[in-house]
Amino acid sequence: MNDVNFFQFVASRSDELIGLTIQHIQITGLAVILAIFLGVPVGILISKNKNMRSPVLGIANIFQTIPSLALFGLIIPLLGTGYVPSVFVLFLYALLPIIKNTFIGINSVGEAIIDAGRGMGMTSKQILTKVEIPLALPVIMGGIRISTVINIGTATIAALIGAGGLGEMIFKGISMASNNMVLAGAIPTALLAISIDKILGIFETKLTPKGITSQKDTAK
Amino acid sequence: MIELVNISKSYDGKINVIENLNLHINKGEIVVLIGESGCGKTTTLRMINRLNEPTGGTILINGEDYTKISKIELRRQLGYVIQKVGLMPHLTVGKNIEIIPELKGWDKQKRKERAYELLDVVDLPPEEYYDRFPHELSGGQQQRIGVARALAVNPDIILMDEPFSALDPVTREQLQKELLKLQDELGKTIVFVTHDMDEALKIGDRIAVMKDGKILQYDTPEGILKNPANDFVEYFVGKNRLWKTPEMLRAEDIMHKSLVTVGQKRSPAQVIEVMKEKDLERIFIVETETSKPQPPIGFITRAILREQGDKNVKMSSICNKNFVAIQHDAKMTDVLKIMEDRDARHLPVLDDDGNLIGMITTASILNLITKAVAGEEES
Ligand SMILES: Nc1ncnc2c1ncn2[C@@H]1O[C@H](COP(=O)(O)OP(=O)(O)OP(=O)(O)O)[C@@H](O)[C@H]1O
Ligand SMILES: [Mg+2]
Repeated sequence: MNDVNFFQFVASRSDELIGLTIQHIQITGLAVILAIFLGVPVGILISKNKNMRSPVLGIANIFQTIPSLALFGLIIPLLGTGYVPSVFVLFLYALLPIIKNTFIGINSVGEAIIDAGRGMGMTSKQILTKVEIPLALPVIMGGIRISTVINIGTATIAALIGAGGLGEMIFKGISMASNNMVLAGAIPTALLAISIDKILGIFETKLTPKGITSQKDTAK
Repeated sequence: MIELVNISKSYDGKINVIENLNLHINKGEIVVLIGESGCGKTTTLRMINRLNEPTGGTILINGEDYTKISKIELRRQLGYVIQKVGLMPHLTVGKNIEIIPELKGWDKQKRKERAYELLDVVDLPPEEYYDRFPHELSGGQQQRIGVARALAVNPDIILMDEPFSALDPVTREQLQKELLKLQDELGKTIVFVTHDMDEALKIGDRIAVMKDGKILQYDTPEGILKNPANDFVEYFVGKNRLWKTPEMLRAEDIMHKSLVTVGQKRSPAQVIEVMKEKDLERIFIVETETSKPQPPIGFITRAILREQGDKNVKMSSICNKNFVAIQHDAKMTDVLKIMEDRDARHLPVLDDDGNLIGMITTASILNLITKAVAGEEES
């Protein structure tokens, strides 16, 4: 393979590639947004309710442990193929880091700070919105970032069950033994993951309250 | 103002960590709760703002059962300074102070004015500190902000849990002084927890000594020092502490009580005999010799008696009536001042009715110093 060929290939398929990239971002983005809507409240809930903590984290952990290919396979009998089951699987994948980081972020707000808040007459809701969430925000954001980056990769596999996205290009390339085609799918995926990671990293820093200087990376 | 009536508290439903506790705190008073670790000071304090709920008993604030108002309302009426300060790290100093004013809906201007005012009160220039973050402050400065925050909505009552315990002695002393000054200016009712007896004696109007969830003694610093209710209190206060605390000492604490006096009808010969026997240089004359205290008429010295020719003269006519006496509750500082000013080596001590009840001599002062030094060595 030579470079000229690759760039020629990309140039000739640029419309398709752009379309696939947008699709890729859409499925990943939608899955992550849904995961935020469920994961953050659940994370907050288990930080307050000790009884629900281990069952919830356990279940979320299971989804994360099942190999992605297997999970896509398992979902077909239930939801069939296409856009919806793909987003659903990606959503399940995104949940754990978000729930876990939300829980850790809220839980690691110093007891003295909460105590001071309660003692001066803040309601539980005010403590949550004005103290705990602002302080946990960078950690929550870290979870979102990890989920997103993982899902950009996992979304390529979703192409197997008809999600579309850059994975489609990769798998087509494999089946047609076209290196150019594989690379035309793989390189944008990699670039996408790296740049989204950087962008969300900037967000994370921006969301870190000014008064907090050092911030541990609790995300795993 | 604050009354704890038969309060008990159990965390686990089995053991009472607070047992039938009664505490009455007057308006404008600083009451100190003191005792060993785990005796229930924090628990008691936190029951006052309902961060802990009593298991039994009632708490009255201004005569009213405090469960009648909501916890949130109650807490906003009480300032609370916690031991670990607990400033919100993501908020500036100003915003920390303004938390409750903001929740109460004060407008921005009013909030800021209040924060500036309070920064002045705790002696931190507002222009410099208003926009700082907590991590940009020293421990002592953070404590001051903690105090300022507790004062934000001008509560009448302030609860303080070991607010100065983490500070170095110099800063601590400075903040104690400022607290007293603040109290003078603002007249708050303060409940203050500490395990440091020096601190308690310095700032408390009254001190409650606690052990195992009970109050062993609730008294003024002077009362605790001079009349410890039991061995534990005495041990806790420190046996010789009184002697190291001259500002607490009164004339009656250091005077000789076994005082020899003679009646005014005695003859010179008899008096000389008594003085020789007791090895006295001077002796005070009273009306009659009874065990009941009487007003001093004057004193006689051996020199006066030696010059006396008339063997039947009455003491009352030859005694020296030109003497200074001092009230039983006079402070040590006043006693020393009088002794120095008047060059007096014998100072009679009078009770409220003017009766002679004791004598302070240079020996008493020496004795005091000895005890203070002994106490120093013991501790
Ligand atoms: N939340 C809690 N749950 C169970 N037991 C508690 C709780 N808080 C305090 N206790 C127990 O109650 C007792 C009194 O504790 P408290 O914190 O009031 O003591 P303290 O006098 O403030 O001690 P210190 O000087 O160490 O702060 C202790 O035996 C403690 O173990
Ligand atoms: Mg305590």
